[in-house]
Amino acid sequence: METDGKQYHVHLKRGDVGKYVLLPGDPGRCEPISRLFDNPRHVATNREYVTYTGTLDGVPVSVTSTGIGCPSAAIAIEELVKCGADTFIRVGTSGHIQKDIHSGELAIINAAIRDEGTSRHYMPIEFPAIADIDVVLALQAAARKTGAKSRTGITQSKDSFYGQHEPERMGVAKDLLERWRAWEIGGALCSEMEASALFVIASMLRVRAGGVMMVHGKEPMPPLDILLETAVQGLREIIASDREKGRSVTL
Amino acid sequence: MTKQYHTRTEKGDVGRYVLMPGDPGRVPIIASRLDNAVHIATNREYVTYTGSLSGVAVSVTSTGIGCPSSAIAIEELFKSGADTFIRVGTSGSFQPGTRSNDIAIATGSIRHEGTSSHYMPIEFPAVCDVSIVQAMRTAVSRLGLRHQVGISHSKDSYYGEVEPERSALPDELNDLWKAWRIGGAICSEMELSTICVVSSILGARAGGIMAMHGEGEFGTLDTLIDAAVESVRELIAMDQA
Repeated sequence: METDGKQYHVHLKRGDVGKYVLLPGDPGRCEPISRLFDNPRHVATNREYVTYTGTLDGVPVSVTSTGIGCPSAAIAIEELVKCGADTFIRVGTSGHIQKDIHSGELAIINAAIRDEGTSRHYMPIEFPAIADIDVVLALQAAARKTGAKSRTGITQSKDSFYGQHEPERMGVAKDLLERWRAWEIGGALCSEMEASALFVIASMLRVRAGGVMMVHGKEPMPPLDILLETAVQGLREIIASDREKGRSVTL
Repeated sequence: MTKQYHTRTEKGDVGRYVLMPGDPGRVPIIASRLDNAVHIATNREYVTYTGSLSGVAVSVTSTGIGCPSSAIAIEELFKSGADTFIRVGTSGSFQPGTRSNDIAIATGSIRHEGTSSHYMPIEFPAVCDVSIVQAMRTAVSRLGLRHQVGISHSKDSYYGEVEPERSALPDELNDLWKAWRIGGAICSEMELSTICVVSSILGARAGGIMAMHGEGEFGTLDTLIDAAVESVRELIAMDQA
């Protein structure tokens, strides 16, 4: 859907964004992330969708916020693909599921638990939410360069923040607590609210998506700098690897 | 030490790395590509040989057809000391342009089966280990083989796929098949999703490499076995680095 030639919600058109897009949840994080780009400029703001575009190593790159949750994240990725973007890195914070993770460690996401409603409007539930292997490898290389402590694994993508943090309040408390235990047994690293829908929709649209999350453990969270640097370095790594393979890096 | 109930293996019988065909008849053929392979055990559909690659112990164990027997195989192999499970077999294909014997490297699998739900709620992804996918991609590129990297479909009914019109719910099977294609699935087989989900619970690594049926005559499995053996060699080198 378009209005005045722009996508309905993100208010962007072809040419406004690069092929490579970082996707934080919080619109307030777009401007600080854009400062890590060369020549960043504000492109659009509408609802929870804020977009900045700049360059890295001479290649146009963008940052667009998704808002909280899979419903708004699905709209963001759909409309960004229509504007020509094809490579996405979700960047944000998350809760810890494995008890040995300390605050500030990064989780590089290779798949997501579809504990949400949105992705079922796209694919039957048996279909796995899988990150693109090139994005995962780029983020692993990035973490080695920035020196961030990281591990690679599964995230839980949920629809209810307070269902996680105060499950005993809910009418489905027993179910929430048992399923959380299941995700822990399954080895899931962290819990956030957008990755699964982004991965399923990216599979359908034949674009690439991955994610890097700073995990909140029991301790207070450190500043997000190393997370943002690693995400931006991830873009540089995938741009370099695309160039090496002769894949076009511009629209 | 007592032997595992079905696979009849115990600690010391198998390597860390296990190649897992469905067909017990393929085990000695794959094992002949390892150094100094010896027969370890045969029971039911489970045949095991152990040899080595690059000086590291590698085993081959058949799973039989389907997720129920595959789950048993990896549970018991894990208890026998293995922690890296690589499915190697044949599959159908989804995407246009696929030729017979093109290689599928799985990144994850559709849980269209009953077994993995006895382990984890259905929302949990059946995902392959990133290092295994990377090793397979490197190996297959080095061998110059035509290949696709993507999601597999693991089903419980072979004839539901090849003759859906015979099912009592043909529309459902056909609609789902279309959904998997739209989602970007590349191949269809009968074991991988459970191997992935059970591996996640065990803290083990899983992967899958398949020769697809597509346009043209299906040839021999030689290139698939080349690719699988080269993948394990590459993974061993990566693990040692």
